Amino acid sequence: MTMKKYAQQLEHLRLTKSRQTREKLDQLGVRDEDDYGCILPPDDFKWTPPITDDNGSFSGARTWGKNFRSLMEHHPVYVDPNDALAGRWMFMLSRMRQGYRIELSNFAFDYSHLKPDQLKYDITCGIGKDAHFAPDYRIGLELGWNGLLKKVRDAKVRYSSDPVARELLDAEEDTILGIQNWIERTAHQANVLAQQQTDAWQRANLTQIAEMNLKLVDHAPLTLREVCQWIAWFNMASRTYNRDGAGGQLDELLRPYYERDKDTGIIDDEDAQFYIACLLLNDPHYYQLGGPDQNGKDQTSALSFIILEAASDLKISCNLTIRVHDGMDRKLFERGVEILLQDRLAYPRFSGDNALVEGFMKNGFSAELARQRIATGCNWMSLPGMEYTLNDVVKINIAKVFEVAFSENMSHQPSLEQLEELYIKHFAKAVKTVAEGLDFHLEYQYLNEPELLLNLLSHGPIEKGLDVSHGGATYYNMALDGAGLATVADSFAAIEQRVVREQCLAWKQLAQSIEADFENEDGQRIKLMLKHSEKFGRGDGLGDKWALRLTQILQDHVAGKQTPGGRRMIPGWFSWADTVRFGRSVGATPDGRKAHSAIAHGANPNPGFRHDSAASCMAQAVAAIQPGYGNTAPWQLELDLGMADHPAAVQNVMALMQAHFDQGGTLININIVDSQTLLDAHEHPENHPDLIVRVTGFSAYFTSLSKDFRELVVKRVIKEAC
Amino acid sequence: MRGMIFDIKRCSIEDGPGIRTTVFLKGCPLRCTWCHNPESQKGQSELLFYLEKCIGCEQCIQTCTHDVHVKGDTGHQLNRANCTACGQCTQHCYSGAIDLAGREVTVEQVMYEVNKDRSFYIRSNGGITLSGGEPLLQPAFTQAILKKAHESGIHTCLDTSGYAPWQSIKVLLDDVDLFLFDLKITDPKQHKQYTGVNLAPILDNLKRIDKAGKAIWLRCPIIPAINANIEHINKLSEIALTLRHLKKIDLLAYHPLGEDKRKAMGQTPTEIADDIPQTTIDTYRTLLQDRLTHREMVIST
Ligand code: SF4
Ligand code: SF4
Repeated sequence: MTMKKYAQQLEHLRLTKSRQTREKLDQLGVRDEDDYGCILPPDDFKWTPPITDDNGSFSGARTWGKNFRSLMEHHPVYVDPNDALAGRWMFMLSRMRQGYRIELSNFAFDYSHLKPDQLKYDITCGIGKDAHFAPDYRIGLELGWNGLLKKVRDAKVRYSSDPVARELLDAEEDTILGIQNWIERTAHQANVLAQQQTDAWQRANLTQIAEMNLKLVDHAPLTLREVCQWIAWFNMASRTYNRDGAGGQLDELLRPYYERDKDTGIIDDEDAQFYIACLLLNDPHYYQLGGPDQNGKDQTSALSFIILEAASDLKISCNLTIRVHDGMDRKLFERGVEILLQDRLAYPRFSGDNALVEGFMKNGFSAELARQRIATGCNWMSLPGMEYTLNDVVKINIAKVFEVAFSENMSHQPSLEQLEELYIKHFAKAVKTVAEGLDFHLEYQYLNEPELLLNLLSHGPIEKGLDVSHGGATYYNMALDGAGLATVADSFAAIEQRVVREQCLAWKQLAQSIEADFENEDGQRIKLMLKHSEKFGRGDGLGDKWALRLTQILQDHVAGKQTPGGRRMIPGWFSWADTVRFGRSVGATPDGRKAHSAIAHGANPNPGFRHDSAASCMAQAVAAIQPGYGNTAPWQLELDLGMADHPAAVQNVMALMQAHFDQGGTLININIVDSQTLLDAHEHPENHPDLIVRVTGFSAYFTSLSKDFRELVVKRVIKEAC
Repeated sequence: MRGMIFDIKRCSIEDGPGIRTTVFLKGCPLRCTWCHNPESQKGQSELLFYLEKCIGCEQCIQTCTHDVHVKGDTGHQLNRANCTACGQCTQHCYSGAIDLAGREVTVEQVMYEVNKDRSFYIRSNGGITLSGGEPLLQPAFTQAILKKAHESGIHTCLDTSGYAPWQSIKVLLDDVDLFLFDLKITDPKQHKQYTGVNLAPILDNLKRIDKAGKAIWLRCPIIPAINANIEHINKLSEIALTLRHLKKIDLLAYHPLGEDKRKAMGQTPTEIADDIPQTTIDTYRTLLQDRLTHREMVIST
């Protein structure tokens, strides 16, 4: 349903968003991450953290609380007369610590004993990493900011003799007071703008924004519009604190308010759709739609559809995931696919309930709990408000592990069996390093950077006076993803085929060519020979055999295993945007990959894995290597126009996905791309400012990606057409 | 039982309903001048050589015992007449410059590959399509595959030119769920001129298939300067009106896709170099829709 009532407002909002995206790109340059909802601050705005340590950085709950409160109290206010909701965020406090780099946030405690092996295996260790688990918005929606403040103050009384808890709770109090200040100033600004406004609709809208926000400073939201505004404030504050982008089960969160408003006649569906569009515009948080409730009953409601339509009306980057399950309303699935195919903005995404639930239960959890673990992040699932996970920020570059094993193999009498043993040995060491790092993180993170925002919407941290990373959460399910699956599977396969089975390449020749990055005599032929070996994805060949073997090794060392400190680990295959960075640390590999080029993407086969690049083969290959414990190994599918423009496209794409889920798939990200457009956008980004692609779990404006990353997407699309 | 195929394509969406596996059988009695699968025509394996992919490693020269590959003053040359299609050189060519079109496979081998996508057929109402070449040139092999597919509950399509003795079609009727019937040219003289065979037996078989109550999709390539004209579309609609079990007409826009392969096979290029504009195809579709408006039929392009 396209909104008629708000068509003009939406058009304004889209244009504003487009301008703001361009401004960000001009000023901040390319970035290989989500298109967040942030905008640039006014030119003359200046703020630096008032409290810093000697080294210019800062840590500890007290300091984070004070700095965040100060930032909130100074944060520019933003009101758009066309928007149903107020506010935009502009900063990330976690990136304002001196010495901060995205890939290496400074950590206040010494873990140099772990660094040699972290480097050796190119481990993204997660130490000092923040967010990446989901809040339970219902806590905030029930209490409002004053209710949360009271909860914190009550806890302060209970923990008056516990200095650690006191410091945390003081910081939580600062956090809330800072946010309330920001909201209140925004409400006043809306009022001022309303007085100046001559357009009747805009004046009325601004007055409503002012009244609504003045109320929300203290009170819990009561209407759909208020709920959207409350969620937007939490999201913006949480982004400002530490980039947190987790969402929740949006349809169910909003449903009671929507139904009440509809019953009392204060809104119609167009109003609802407009408020939700404004929420989605505010920030592309990750929301799930549909799926079973904890008892298995389908949660699809009228709102699930309204949310989809709101996103489709906006035509900007959105992160909505439809949960596909046996008892679902097929219409939601169908409408989701229609929107994916029509809008071509890489959403919604689709997750497979059966494999996720069965997998998570293997960790010893009930089906009821497993169903509540929903898609709230890039590649990840989370139990809202109950779970601390470090999802998507702990990774082992298995191409690097392979490289270490390969070189050790060559220093002995080389053999394939020995290479496999060495890979297992080094992989086990890498996992051990990760596990020790996780314990270290869980011991010190609360002192480094407590989760002041997400604590508020978690069950436990305030009640227990403990940061969520330090015992406050109900469950600790620490994610560990392997990255580079196809690179390593194809490398093992190429060795088995060419060196062992066909004996057309000697170990020494192989090692020399790798060392020389295939620039030696005969290197080009050897590279092609390796590249055209039986790749993962071809189906029942050596590449598939090795991908399964690598998954088995991952499961053996991670699934059902605990860190030395007793925290559960859950395996996944995912590389996020690290595909390029991980590749830089690895020389040439026996799959014919050139030195320092990107490693394989997530759980996908390498481009060119089969002569027909059949999507069904890819679907099967990715389903077969699912680690199977409730975390994902997402399938990234690039659909060409032949498939997308086909008269039966909706049915075919649904069938393709459904069959993938039948076989164990967990999450699907789909791009619909015209290769010509993409190639042109790569050459002339300026001509395609609004082209959105799903890079991995996240989507982004194509032009905002670095050249390396754009190349990667282009390669995937050109070679993977169905 | 063995047969000669030149490709198996999984996840095909253009050869019948749903997601399908298309098995391309080698050998065709027609010689359509525009054929986009020229490697499908001969019944035997044959060598394709893509000069632009060759890295000059000379492995093929060393491997071939029949002196097919030679390096002369003009570069890499092929004595195709000497080639026995043994495939040895392709095993040593890693650049993809040499390809052998055509391999003998058993029915079991085909079914092994076909069964892999069973779950996709179930979810999409897809199945297997036998295409070519002309599957009816290998009737026993074709029938054996179709029977096996049906035994395992897989939906079957037969993509045919219709140029075969009625008897070899008749025996397949029970094993084919849907006929994809290629109707290329409706003018008998032109048909003979551009495909090398007569139109009459094809139309005859089409009528008989319809009479037997089998579902039919007509596949009609539209080729510039050959059949891209209103008279052809008029004729098509006349024929369509006589068929009771025709469910769909596919108007397939010609693209010069076969040219690279023709070159790789050492053949001279066709004279049809241009794509057909989509607007022309759309006009024809509208025309057909108007003529067949009272029939429940999909016209797709
Ligand atoms: S083996 Fe292939 S790449 Fe090498 S010379 Fe022969 S055709 Fe060229
Ligand atoms: S297929 Fe056999 S005979 Fe023909 S060129 Fe290759 S090696 Fe020589």
